[in-house]
Amino acid sequence: MYGTLAISQRALNDLADVSDERTLDELRSLARPIEGLRVLNLSVTGFGTGTAELLNSAVPLLNDLGLDVHWQVVRGSEEVQHVARAMYQALGGVYVDWTQEMTDAWQRYASMNAELLTEQFDVIIVHDPQPLAIRSFPTTNDDSTWIMHSHLDMSSAQPDVWMLVRSHVEKYDAAIFDAPTFVRSDISVKTYVVEPAIDPNSARNMPLPDDVINTVLAQYGIDPARPIICQVSPCDAASDLVGAFEVWQQVRERRRDVQLVVMLTTEPQDPEGRACYEELASRAKDEPDVIIASGREIGNVEMNAFQRSASVVMQKGLRKGFGLWVSDALWKERACVVAPAPGLMEQVIDGRTGLIASSTDEFATAIGRLLDDPVTAAKYGENGRAHVADRFLITRYLRDYLQILNEMHTSNNSLNEMHRKS
Amino acid sequence: MLGSVPTTPKSIESYRPVIGDKRTEEILELASRIRGARVLHVNATGFGGGVAEILGTLVPLMNDVGLNADWQVIKGADEFFNVTKAMHNSLQGMYYDWTPAMREIWTNYNKLNADLFDEDYDYVVIHDPQPAAMLTYIEERDGQRHGKWVWRCHIDLTDAQVQVWDFLRPHVERYDGAIFTLKGYVKEDLTSPKIFHVPPAIDPLSPKNADLPLETVNAILERYGVDPARPMVTQISRFDPWKDPLGVIDVYRTVKKEFPDLQLVMIASMASDDPEGWDWYERTVRRAGEDFDIHILSNLNGVGNVEVNAFQRAARVVIQKSTREGFGLVVSEALWKGRPVVAGNVGGIPLQILDGETGFLVNTSEECAEKLSFLLGHQAEADRMGARGVEFVRERFLTTRYLRDYLSIFCQLSGLGPVAAEQPQAQRAGR
Repeated sequence: MYGTLAISQRALNDLADVSDERTLDELRSLARPIEGLRVLNLSVTGFGTGTAELLNSAVPLLNDLGLDVHWQVVRGSEEVQHVARAMYQALGGVYVDWTQEMTDAWQRYASMNAELLTEQFDVIIVHDPQPLAIRSFPTTNDDSTWIMHSHLDMSSAQPDVWMLVRSHVEKYDAAIFDAPTFVRSDISVKTYVVEPAIDPNSARNMPLPDDVINTVLAQYGIDPARPIICQVSPCDAASDLVGAFEVWQQVRERRRDVQLVVMLTTEPQDPEGRACYEELASRAKDEPDVIIASGREIGNVEMNAFQRSASVVMQKGLRKGFGLWVSDALWKERACVVAPAPGLMEQVIDGRTGLIASSTDEFATAIGRLLDDPVTAAKYGENGRAHVADRFLITRYLRDYLQILNEMHTSNNSLNEMHRKS
Repeated sequence: MLGSVPTTPKSIESYRPVIGDKRTEEILELASRIRGARVLHVNATGFGGGVAEILGTLVPLMNDVGLNADWQVIKGADEFFNVTKAMHNSLQGMYYDWTPAMREIWTNYNKLNADLFDEDYDYVVIHDPQPAAMLTYIEERDGQRHGKWVWRCHIDLTDAQVQVWDFLRPHVERYDGAIFTLKGYVKEDLTSPKIFHVPPAIDPLSPKNADLPLETVNAILERYGVDPARPMVTQISRFDPWKDPLGVIDVYRTVKKEFPDLQLVMIASMASDDPEGWDWYERTVRRAGEDFDIHILSNLNGVGNVEVNAFQRAARVVIQKSTREGFGLVVSEALWKGRPVVAGNVGGIPLQILDGETGFLVNTSEECAEKLSFLLGHQAEADRMGARGVEFVRERFLTTRYLRDYLSIFCQLSGLGPVAAEQPQAQRAGR
């Protein structure tokens, strides 16, 4: 048995105030043909990632729609975590020295985890490549439908690691990618795109009274009366925290009163992340207008407050994931300036819901422009919320999944039927 | 130079409405005796953890009352922090093989950090064992020390592994004074010139403790699937055997027979590198089973300060069913929100709960269930106890008292007189 996660119940009707009845009805009718379908989501962690955040909302909502959806986490150890992290980096295009020992460890853990899969499911969705190889070992679910959902942009993956991963992907019935540009064309299994989505009803997105926002700001000495640039991101190299700081330095040359708030959603996971944090902290040491909010106890409401108080939200790093914090910000009608990473560019349409910038100079110019022109900033924010309402709400995510499950289940059933007949 | 940690400015005046004029003036008077003093706090990390949280408030407040306070962190690589982790655990009573290689690593990094120390302070406070030998090697280098040096020990040394403690002791005995959290945490054979006790404190203005509008409290409950209209009890703690999360569920089940509407919210504070915590998390989830009135939430899901604040405020009763505890400051947090607390009679908890007046101290699950059901059945009495709890915490466990204790210690170390204060607990020391 895998690790179990505590998931709070949710009701689809709770979404009525941010969605229309037609959308909810569509979800209900899509769910009907696959009522009772037993689905297992398998991931490496239940926490701290965009995937986990999304599953936390999606799993109980799908259950409320009548499916029987579960979410479990695979067993690991320090050894395999290290290997999995290296794999994740290599697939994201950061070079790692991938050894035969790493392949062996990765497959050994997959085989161990395959033995733990003792319950019976109709569909198994494996999130991200780390637990992927489980499919390649015999389990009680050999005849189930296996789907990989990769949340990482693997388009520039390191070839040797990708070849390894691909050999396992080929055993799946389908592969889902987070964005059209993430899709690998060199696999023969059926591919789908399901973009991630935000839950507008979660604590990180719900409306907040000014009192609460101000209490949070006061804790960090942030002045709500002065302009705020905010970046929310994990404490890793891909977030380019120091770059964000340098952007702020440049903006400040023209706008003396501008503040920078960097909220870190994770503790540093590796020496590289620690080094990033330390460099940011030491550069910011004598800068009271740079606020670094970090630590285990900073939660959703605080992130919500930081984003709501921001004049401009930025994402300086060229992230390899989707970077859904940007949609969280757009939903709050914030103008965003982001790096030209494929996931980010799905959310920020240049000149409509925000601005795309590459260099520090470009970022500083774009942010300066938005600070000088609040009318345009507000317009971008407004467009941004509409864009998110259109493409990145949890209802759309549920619909995509229900459609895929319908399709896969039907075709798999007819396939089994054919087997039985022959 | 060591690595500096930036802090957010804070103002003592913003606390005046909370603690009143008398306590505020007392702090300002003490600070005036050492105005302009240069103070340095040194610890192992600026990133997270209880000590970092305390320093994040204490350092800017010291600056605000007229001192010149800095906070720096030592340098170290993984090999050093692996050793200090083992050292930390063994000082808390776990057994480790304390090898010569470990001693050497620890010594070398302390020497390295001593070499990086090139400044002049009036008061240097070294936090916890990691950098404790810096003073030894600075004196070795300079032949003398500048300013007064204090070792601030945040851990309970009662069950410390002798080998490790004997190794550490000569280093900490060089200090001008040592500060412990509780009297009981001090090792008997420690001969420091002065020993002080400073219990921890909460910051009433932080997002975890500041007032929240009722509508926000209710909105937060709803977002996490908790019904604000039905009674709820909560425990906020790490998931480990000493916080008895399984026992909490059993107690809830017992009481739920009498109050079928009851909901339980358990908020796990978990570290990503703590496999044991993960294990207990799972056991707790399994014990909760299919009862959807039990809500198990975690910081790793983004349940943070404001959420904790809201759940504490909304709870009819707060539980802290510890069987072993450090100080258990979460009890004061709950009392500050006007809620009665039913908690294990261990560690620092009896210092925070006046049994029968601000909550109940319990020794068994039966007692815990009995007191919980009493408070759920007598709401007026529960509210009265909660109100007393607020006053008790205002007197003893706010961050301003913590500041005052440090100022008082600095004054004493410099022969600037004792304090005319009346709080026996937070009171100075000496033996």
